[in-house]
Amino acid sequence: MMKKLCRYLSPLLIAALMLGSLPAVAAPAPDGSDLITTQAALNAERGQADRERIQEILTRSDVQEQLVAQGVDPAEVEARVAALSDAEAAQMAEQLEQLPAGASAVGALFAVFVILLVTDILGLTNVFPFTR
Amino acid sequence: MIDCPVRQPAAAPARNARPAGVLALMLTILLVAGCAATPRLPESTEQSLPRQLLLDEVPFHAQRDYQCGPASLAMVLNDGGIDVDVDTLIPQVFLPGRDGSVQPEMLATVRRHGRIPFLIDGRLDALLLELAAGHPTVVMQNLALPAWPMWHYAVAIGFDLDRDELTLHSGEEPRRIESFRRFDATWARSERWAFVALPPGELPVGARPHRAMEAISDFERTQGVEAALPAWEALAERFPSQGMVQFGLGNARHAGGDAEGAIAAFEQAVAAEPGLAVAWLNLGLARRGQGDTAGAREALERAAALPGHWQPHAHRALEDIEEASP
Repeated sequence: MMKKLCRYLSPLLIAALMLGSLPAVAAPAPDGSDLITTQAALNAERGQADRERIQEILTRSDVQEQLVAQGVDPAEVEARVAALSDAEAAQMAEQLEQLPAGASAVGALFAVFVILLVTDILGLTNVFPFTR
Repeated sequence: MIDCPVRQPAAAPARNARPAGVLALMLTILLVAGCAATPRLPESTEQSLPRQLLLDEVPFHAQRDYQCGPASLAMVLNDGGIDVDVDTLIPQVFLPGRDGSVQPEMLATVRRHGRIPFLIDGRLDALLLELAAGHPTVVMQNLALPAWPMWHYAVAIGFDLDRDELTLHSGEEPRRIESFRRFDATWARSERWAFVALPPGELPVGARPHRAMEAISDFERTQGVEAALPAWEALAERFPSQGMVQFGLGNARHAGGDAEGAIAAFEQAVAAEPGLAVAWLNLGLARRGQGDTAGAREALERAAALPGHWQPHAHRALEDIEEASP
């Protein structure tokens, strides 16, 4: 049910985000009355072209889709992605892909338990409260 | 990815672990993990810090399940006067599919609540200096080892230099004491990631102009120029000789309707960095907006003379002026 909802919702979200963000990219160069914005100046300092800015919008929609897939409430997704800076959005797009799914791996193996117990006692880790 | 640990009583240790095996394990671990030493503070920092400090007023929120991210955010936001509870923050920052919260979204959520997240330098002395300035600091730790990470967010709220100990609101434990040595070992595994959440107008003690400018600019993008203006004013006061900082201030003032103040900031920017073409360009455009054609032409000519990304813009603006006033 949720999956189905997501399947319909995410293209809509992507479209909404893209339409919402495009004017910012497609905005004409200042004609003399508008100042150069600080963001534009910082982007130019980094040597960022408009092409890359469009890429960033795609990145944002990608992040949005991934968040929905991660179980985030679709009503929250847009605001969450909007609050990310460009660099953070790019980081999210890359990291969420790379990171393995799954919860705490600690305690799965007895060997791991022993190793962490020893490192706790050595003061290298802080897993078990009773070692302090 | 952050799986906030839920502390549970450890399983009963097995009875048949052979001493030789344990010894071999310990040797391996010592080889792999190296030896953690108590981090040393620079002499000058140590002298400028109080011996003991506790930010008593920082409220504590115990984490539930794996939600140390939202809990940590609630603590620093509440301390900064933002009335938001953990239950509001959970849908804003927690990732159900991963049982945790990620770093970029921690920063983004701070922004949503009208505070500017500033990453601090990844050094213990930088962290202690922020605490001494009254800034509770969110830190990210890996409480276990790199191979089996146990990611965790906590809020540093105090220290004791005589005992080499840090105090943190962490997980389900308020005012947890951790030795500098153990804390630094676990903090180092997140590449010593830490941030403060400050109201616009306040800056971290160790602010660096470029990184602070990015932080304020990112905040401005989501919260608007008006909200960011006090931050630009504070940054420009801290770094008067940084052209780009003055430039950012000029833009914020201009967007807020203060054209005269904007021109003054742009003039300061080009005085500090005469090679900053974009500041000359905006100086010219702002002067033109005020009807100062001669002043505008002068500034735009300086911008047009500087090779780079903004040269075509400057030429175009100059042409516009010539057309308007032959």
